Amino acid sequence: MLRRLAITSLVLGAALALAAIPARTSRRPQYGGTFRVEIGAALASLDPATSAASASGDTSIWNHVDSLMRDLQNSLIDPASNNGPFHISSWQPSRLLTLQANDAFREGRPFVDAVEISMGRPLRDRLLDLELNKSDLTEIPAPDARHAADRGIRISQSQPDELLAVVFLENRATADPRARQALSLAIDRAAIVTYLLQKFGEPSAALLPQWSSGTSFLFSIAPDVPRAKELSSQIAPAPHFGLGYDSADPLEQSVAERIVVNAKESGLAVSAVGIAPQSAQKSGAAPTTDALVVRVAMDSPKPAAALDGLLRDFGAFGAGNVSANPLSDSATPQQIYDREREVLDSYRIVPLVWLPQVYGLSARVRNWIPPGPGENWPLADVWLDQNVDQNPNHGQAQGAAAAPKDRE
Amino acid sequence: MTFRSKLFLNFIIALLLAVGLVAAGVTLVTRRVFDEMNRQHTDAMVQQFQHEFERRGQDVAHRVKAIAEEEATTRMAVDLSRPNADVSVYVHDARGVSSSHQLDFLDFVGNDGAIISSEEYPARFGYKLPWVTQPEDWLARGAFLMRVETAQGPALGLMAVSTVRVGDRDLYVVGGERLGKEFLQSLVLPTGMRALLYLNLEPEFQEPNLIDANGPAPDADRFQPLVEKIEADPVEQTEKISWGFDPSNAEVLHALPLVGRQKELLGVLFVGSSQRTVVSLERRIRWLALGVAAVGLLLGLLLSWWGAARVTRPVQKLVSAAHEVSQGNWNAHVDVRGSDEVGQLAKSFNQMTTQLVEQREKLVQVERVAAWRELARRLAHELKNPLFPLQTTVENLQRAREQHSDQFDEVFRESTRIMLGELDNLKAIVSRFSDFAKMPQPELAPVNLNEIVRNVVKLFEAQFNAVGRPPISPELHLAENLPVIQADATLLHRAIENLILNAMDAMPAGGVLMLRTQPIEHGVSLEVSDTGTGLTPEESERIFTPYYTSKQHGSGLGLAIVQAVVADHGGRISVESESGVGTSFHIDLPANPPHKPQVFPMVFEKKEDEA
Repeated sequence: MLRRLAITSLVLGAALALAAIPARTSRRPQYGGTFRVEIGAALASLDPATSAASASGDTSIWNHVDSLMRDLQNSLIDPASNNGPFHISSWQPSRLLTLQANDAFREGRPFVDAVEISMGRPLRDRLLDLELNKSDLTEIPAPDARHAADRGIRISQSQPDELLAVVFLENRATADPRARQALSLAIDRAAIVTYLLQKFGEPSAALLPQWSSGTSFLFSIAPDVPRAKELSSQIAPAPHFGLGYDSADPLEQSVAERIVVNAKESGLAVSAVGIAPQSAQKSGAAPTTDALVVRVAMDSPKPAAALDGLLRDFGAFGAGNVSANPLSDSATPQQIYDREREVLDSYRIVPLVWLPQVYGLSARVRNWIPPGPGENWPLADVWLDQNVDQNPNHGQAQGAAAAPKDRE
Repeated sequence: MTFRSKLFLNFIIALLLAVGLVAAGVTLVTRRVFDEMNRQHTDAMVQQFQHEFERRGQDVAHRVKAIAEEEATTRMAVDLSRPNADVSVYVHDARGVSSSHQLDFLDFVGNDGAIISSEEYPARFGYKLPWVTQPEDWLARGAFLMRVETAQGPALGLMAVSTVRVGDRDLYVVGGERLGKEFLQSLVLPTGMRALLYLNLEPEFQEPNLIDANGPAPDADRFQPLVEKIEADPVEQTEKISWGFDPSNAEVLHALPLVGRQKELLGVLFVGSSQRTVVSLERRIRWLALGVAAVGLLLGLLLSWWGAARVTRPVQKLVSAAHEVSQGNWNAHVDVRGSDEVGQLAKSFNQMTTQLVEQREKLVQVERVAAWRELARRLAHELKNPLFPLQTTVENLQRAREQHSDQFDEVFRESTRIMLGELDNLKAIVSRFSDFAKMPQPELAPVNLNEIVRNVVKLFEAQFNAVGRPPISPELHLAENLPVIQADATLLHRAIENLILNAMDAMPAGGVLMLRTQPIEHGVSLEVSDTGTGLTPEESERIFTPYYTSKQHGSGLGLAIVQAVVADHGGRISVESESGVGTSFHIDLPANPPHKPQVFPMVFEKKEDEA
């Protein structure tokens, strides 16, 4: 019996060793190739000071592109300075940016020879190009990630670093904290993640994600409809408020509409109001709205800094003076928790979901590590596996196999 | 108002009544006909709606069934039948399927009634539709109306349900079409009609929920009472709404309640029929009727006028003849032909006048005989008094010649004296009668009646206070402003003398004699009253008859002369008397007498003729 077991183990070990040989070979970095990136945003200017205002289209990936632009800033100013990994070789506003590898980069030459960033590409075309191996990287909105994975696209997602939340504006119909609390209790966050985000996200009632603070689980996400009804019944006259969302953001719209349904079930009259993107991003929201569905990204992996940054951004949306008394860098987890609790108890900010950044990758992309908060795209570290068959069908099959656990 | 005018007026009233009745009848019949037309149009519209509703319902049921039978739906049902199935993967499926099957509403509902995917309300996933899981043969039920919750608010849907059964678990496909303005646009409406739909989706009446083919209907508040009426009693009802003062702006609305599965009122279909065409036609017919009536009235007026004249002409002739008779022309004759009532009346009238003339002639004869008898009696009486002394005297003269010749001369002288005296009396009697017969025609000149009265009274002043008889007190009440009249002063003087003499004879025991003058219309009046013994009614009637007297020594000509004078002046005399109280004579004289004297009573006429 033991002998038979030993023989079987040897056979299996040999088979595993043989299977591991090509993989090890393929993971050896290779130089060359053009790394093709497609994004939804269309940048009219490379000037970091004005590029944000000139962007149009899907802006979900904007923060990272913004960082990329900052990296390129030195190259723009002095192409011979060798301060960056790439030089700009061509620039077609709102259409195409081509970067050439900087052979003299002090940290070493990037693996890829060039990077092509196509802008203003709609999601449908981006996914199609990815399936046809016409591109190597694109960002995918979280709600569409599962669908893309089902189509066989390699998916890579970051740690959740963008908070989707409801911000109650000051001096509006929601002045009564019971109304805000009732809405917070009425929202079914898990259903939002399951259905609207297709499980790409983390339901949360905390201002920091679990991976960052470790205390997110202390804030309950379970809806309490009876309590919400009780609270709303105590308010006379019955509150009716408008919930604004960025009309260019389908996710915000669907979340806002879901909140309307949840609120209605709890006896709250809420109407979803689409507003222009610029208005949604500024504190001067449309006058018909009393609250906003907003997305706020972490700008630091450190919880204290991230919390301060988030509160600052929420304050800019009109949540009031929530950014007062910033935490020090040496704040303890307890202090961070207390600060969170203090802000959340006012129900001016109602966290809903922490969103990851989701990317679709072609089969030949290697060493792509999704950037964390405050990090740039690792364009200099990416290399392209030249041995991967560029046949779309082959790539699709390989991508599909890699999709579920592609978290490099 | 003349008989002709009355007759004409009656004709006109009868004509107007007839025209009015005809016009009312025409209006009533016209309105009924138009109402019936409206009803038929409305019924056709309602039927069209019901057919369209049924057709769409079948179509919806067919499409929902087709979705349920699709491979993808079956695969979904199989997938969901597994334990711990992930329903979230299907959350967006309804949108694509509904658009490919052209459905406005589509829900995939799980075995527990929870919404898996919703087209009309994507955010409603996870919530339950409990009514779907209730036992019901959805295939047999077909399509039905339902209140559908959507992201934009409630809507009215024509829905159908189909089930996909895998093992012991069902997947429900709930789909349907929105019932709104698109549905109304699909209805073919005749001119002047419109269809509106009220979506009864809120507890209270909501104006925006009333739509027509173009969207929210204007003036929706006017429909509120009818909607509330149907909510109270959900049966078909008809009502008229006026959209202004002009009746042509009115609209007849037929309301058809639309109910759901539980017979709850979900909507009301209004079929509006404008009254513009009907009112316009009614007006045209009315104006035509009015024109015909006007022409008819005009013709009627002319015919009535002619007819009234034709009917009243014989009557007018009768009236003229009767007027002539009243004026004394008893020979008046009516020339009317025909045997109708008026003709018979005319014949009777002519016969009556003929008989009157004959009667008058007979009466004249009788009166003449009576007058002659009275004259003979009076003459005999008057002549008898002097004749008797004459006879006695002649006999005494003869006796004296035979028996007392010595005294004959003395007797002869005395007898001749007596005889001459009596002959004077006879001559006086004859003279009085001769004077009456020779009454002169008045010679008219301006006279003052007051002056004549004063002169006459002055002549009698001595006799009023004569010795040996009771005094008579004259009282004069003479009007100061008495107008001058055209008259014969001598004849009036004589007449007043006779009246005063008559009054004095009536007051043997004295009394008061009152004379009063006063102006009257177109002349003057004179009243002579006494406080004497008065007259009997018979005496009052005959007192003006010549030779009639109630006195022992009167000639019976005094008052006859008074009446003759008054008549010659175109005046009138009358008497009022009460036995034991007194008698009053009233004389009215015209200021300007007619050229020809008035017709006197026949007695005097005949008397004058004879004279």
